[in-house]
Amino acid sequence: MEVIWQNLPVILVGLRLTIQYSIVAIILMVVIGLIAALMRLSKFAPLRWIATAYVEIFRSTPLLVQLFFIVLGLPAILPVNEWFGQLWYPILAAALTLSLNEGAYVTEIIRAGILGVDRGQKEAAQSIGMNGFQTMRYIVLPQAFKRMIPPLVNQAAQTIKDTSLLAPVGIAELVYKGEIVIAETFASFAIWGLIAVLYFILIFSLSKFSSYLERRLQVDKR
Amino acid sequence: MINVRDLHKSFGDNEILKGISTHVEEKEVVVVIGPSGSGKSTFLRCLNGLETATSGEIEIAGMTLTDPKTNIHKLRQHVGMVFQQFNLFKHLTILENITIGPRKVKKIPAAEANRIARELLAKVGLVGKEANYPDELSGGQQQRVAIARALAMGPNVMLFDEPTSALDPEMVGEVLQVMKALAVEGMTMVVVTHEMGFAREVGHRVVFMDDGLILEEGPPSELFSNPQRNRTKSFLAKIL
Repeated sequence: MEVIWQNLPVILVGLRLTIQYSIVAIILMVVIGLIAALMRLSKFAPLRWIATAYVEIFRSTPLLVQLFFIVLGLPAILPVNEWFGQLWYPILAAALTLSLNEGAYVTEIIRAGILGVDRGQKEAAQSIGMNGFQTMRYIVLPQAFKRMIPPLVNQAAQTIKDTSLLAPVGIAELVYKGEIVIAETFASFAIWGLIAVLYFILIFSLSKFSSYLERRLQVDKR
Repeated sequence: MINVRDLHKSFGDNEILKGISTHVEEKEVVVVIGPSGSGKSTFLRCLNGLETATSGEIEIAGMTLTDPKTNIHKLRQHVGMVFQQFNLFKHLTILENITIGPRKVKKIPAAEANRIARELLAKVGLVGKEANYPDELSGGQQQRVAIARALAMGPNVMLFDEPTSALDPEMVGEVLQVMKALAVEGMTMVVVTHEMGFAREVGHRVVFMDDGLILEEGPPSELFSNPQRNRTKSFLAKIL
């Protein structure tokens, strides 16, 4: 217990970074996923090809390898550290790589959600003169969004857990701080236990929030 | 109001419409009948561009639908459509279902759109359902809302694609009643239906389609009592 209290401040600094990366990645993955999903459903073939290639590449390679490749590998051939700054490049690259990886899965969630909306809804929207954008914005996406909530929350939980893979590329999040504390104290049982509990609290509150959200949408929008 | 010349429509190798030519006058009510698979619905869906004609020419509400330069979204504002499955927007209330077109497409202010919607709800006999969701209404009520939704755009022509086919028998009457009132007001209408009573009573002209072609057309009294073609006779014998 003693060792936990003593090292809690250091661990909490890591936790704060974990939360920050999670929030950024969850927001970006939805934005990226929405854009890529719309591209995959586009009538314009090159847009479909680009989005499909993106999804396949990020789904078919491990996140850890992607992180090593982009955060540590790219600076070896490109002067990215000069472009973005020595301090900023790893931070930006790590956040973006994580978001792109999760966004690949979100693309498929959103695409499935859009395709799941009855074709008659789209036709009815077109029949009152709505263009493609208006049909998507006012009719299809609001209906698709509701059924996308459970899989999106799943993906958000996965994203929070995946931030732990940022430790090996030098981002001082929860796992990284934990390893430092353990190297000094040898208290691996207590510290890993503490870290597991902190992840659990984060993700459990997320799923509580989502069931609240789902219940609310269920009540007044059938 | 509608002019169709040599309309062809194929899905892959399957030719559904094999050269349709017809003409609909302003304020005319044309009822399209025929066996299933004859291309009636496809023909109707071509008239507002939900299906793209393979060849031929369609003029409707003063615009040439088959001209690639025509703004299809603009055109559809003048051509109302009512579907067999109603297709009300499930996530919107009845009032919102009717106002969303005027508000988002025609950019009419909310208060004005609401006023129009309430008038139309009164017209289709559904005052008091403004705040309900489509799932809470019966099929007949939903179809009447769908008619109000189409009317809210102020169309010049109304297309009906088997509007009563998905309804329980006791709800057919209330929908036909609303359609009849529209016809009496002078709305130009093209109605695909199996309701021969409606065709006889409200239709100015009946068009009989079979296998992608118009086989016969004429005033309902003549077509029903004295069909010229054998195919028409056998179809009417089965359905009347």
